Amino acid sequence: MVMRSRIELTGIPASRGIGLGNAYILEDNTEDVSPEKIQTNEVEGHLDRFRRSINYLREKFERLKKSESGEVAEILDAQIETLKDPELNKSIQHKIKNELYRSEYAIYSTFNEYIHVMENADSEWLNDRTIDLIAIRDQLIDIVRNRRRETEVTENSVIFASNISPTKMIELSRQNIAGVVMEKGGLTSHAVILSQSLDIPCVINVKWNRKKLLKGEEVFVDGDTGKVIIRPDERESRYYRDRKEEQERLYQESLKIIDQPSETRCGSPFHLQANVEFLEELPRIEKHGAHGVGLLRTETILFQKTGFDVEAQLKFYREVVQASGGSEVTIRLFDAGGDKLIGDSDLEANPFLGWRGIRMLLDRQDLLDNQLEAIYRLSGEFPGQIKMLVPMISCMSELNKLKKAAENIRTKLEKGSVNIDSELPIGIMIEVPSAALLAEQFAENVDFFSIGTNDLTQYTLAVDRGNERISDLFQPNHPAVWKLIQMTKVGADKHGVPVAVCGEMASKPKEAACLIGMGINSLSMTTSALPAVKAFLCDHTLDEMQLLADSVLSANSPLEAEKLLNQFV
Amino acid sequence: MVKKKVTVKNEAGLHARPSSVLVKTASKFDSDFYISMYGYKVNGKSILGVMTLAAESGAEMELIFDGPDEEEALKIISELFENKFQPN
Repeated sequence: MVMRSRIELTGIPASRGIGLGNAYILEDNTEDVSPEKIQTNEVEGHLDRFRRSINYLREKFERLKKSESGEVAEILDAQIETLKDPELNKSIQHKIKNELYRSEYAIYSTFNEYIHVMENADSEWLNDRTIDLIAIRDQLIDIVRNRRRETEVTENSVIFASNISPTKMIELSRQNIAGVVMEKGGLTSHAVILSQSLDIPCVINVKWNRKKLLKGEEVFVDGDTGKVIIRPDERESRYYRDRKEEQERLYQESLKIIDQPSETRCGSPFHLQANVEFLEELPRIEKHGAHGVGLLRTETILFQKTGFDVEAQLKFYREVVQASGGSEVTIRLFDAGGDKLIGDSDLEANPFLGWRGIRMLLDRQDLLDNQLEAIYRLSGEFPGQIKMLVPMISCMSELNKLKKAAENIRTKLEKGSVNIDSELPIGIMIEVPSAALLAEQFAENVDFFSIGTNDLTQYTLAVDRGNERISDLFQPNHPAVWKLIQMTKVGADKHGVPVAVCGEMASKPKEAACLIGMGINSLSMTTSALPAVKAFLCDHTLDEMQLLADSVLSANSPLEAEKLLNQFV
Repeated sequence: MVKKKVTVKNEAGLHARPSSVLVKTASKFDSDFYISMYGYKVNGKSILGVMTLAAESGAEMELIFDGPDEEEALKIISELFENKFQPN
């Protein structure tokens, strides 16, 4: 037997939790249907076949719906309504009756017309509905052709698919699958929404290779980090098994803690906020106990093509503020560039060291002015609630230019008698080592700091975090990174400037405890991490966390720091 | 024929769920029902038509009813918009 090697892949985490199971490959059914014609005497037969296929599928969906409620039932409802759609039915029948096409082609081409509209719509959720229609189309054609495709998924399967239709997802969930890995699928696709509400770990945008995967092979899926490992080694597989159990226990435990005050066991308060990028995440802010938004990423507005004129931005920001129930919202200026290129820029040799964040904004005055205006206008509607965060600051002159631009917008709006919050706090991201090293000087000129630990790690260690060859060198627990965090805090304290951490580090309970121990008591993280972090912090005293911080800060190697964190229970 | 201008008030806009509530309710009436927005006119009983409007929160549209129970249909459907498509 040939030993097949371990493969590690990364995608976008879409539904939390850890899944361990055996690979199952869900093949695409899609095939082309050619425009074959029929004779007039065949019309009735084809109309009949079409109607029967619609009824058959409708009954199947109704049966599925029977034992479901809430979100799942609602999604099924939409599928059923699609089958009942009068315009769709009319068009298919017209193609059979008047254009004399075979029923499968009439179905195929009518659905494709709608699919085409949805694919090209300027709306991400509508693009994400495409898969729903493709699935219904293919199922109808299968029924017309009298072809059955049963998938024999066994319990504990990890499903590998290009994309999954909502009804398939529901069927799969009944087999107690362990996880889902998709090549496509947006964060607002029904498959993702369903995997979240059905509690199935899911990772999307994974480029998995069909040739390198066999049915039944052991697979591990981490819906929190987006990692997928095929054929993990024995040690790894034991580790993930333990972690899965541990995580399940922690999550159940932590849900109880959401309504309790955010205080350490000795009564010292801390502040947990949410990192937000998509509107879909808003309901989870309060549900997971966040006090406001510590990092609102705004790049999505740029990329979702909703336009980034002032009004479109204001609309997006308002929704976020409203979902935060009176708590603060920190808006980070567009952090485009680097791995997230904006349309008109050329590919750069070193994008992470290139034209991104504030560097891009200062060159694109139009973008910057629009965003500043939107944020100031918003601040007038919600005074005292809005903060502005500047990404990628590496030297003082950038900050000065930004403040000048902000000043100009402020004056312009005040002259036009627009209500604004003239005290709107302006803070900077600490993610470039130069900013951490000069924290004291920066602190004199800003209202707050927010540390982005992922970029700080990448820039401190000169490790491109997207480069798989050196991924083992990406060590957030490197003593140099911890030292820069400490320097930032010390520099900020000289001028009484508050420090928050909004990077991945804050979302790990032990690292979070260490940060609190260093005196950084404001942490912002992805909403799914909030309960576990809160539970862990509430369970320890400040003394314990300070001791942890002291020992981690004097560690000599990343390994030693990690060991110290692991030992802290 | 009766007409009325309404605004989409629910935060998510006319997505799959609100669309299916809308067409389900509309289908109970005999009157024809059309929605007109940005110069597009779709059959209000067609979920695919309604969804492809991609109406976001705040979008304005005109509801057009024509038929024996048009008055009542208008009343019930505009209430749906008002109640943000929450089933009563």
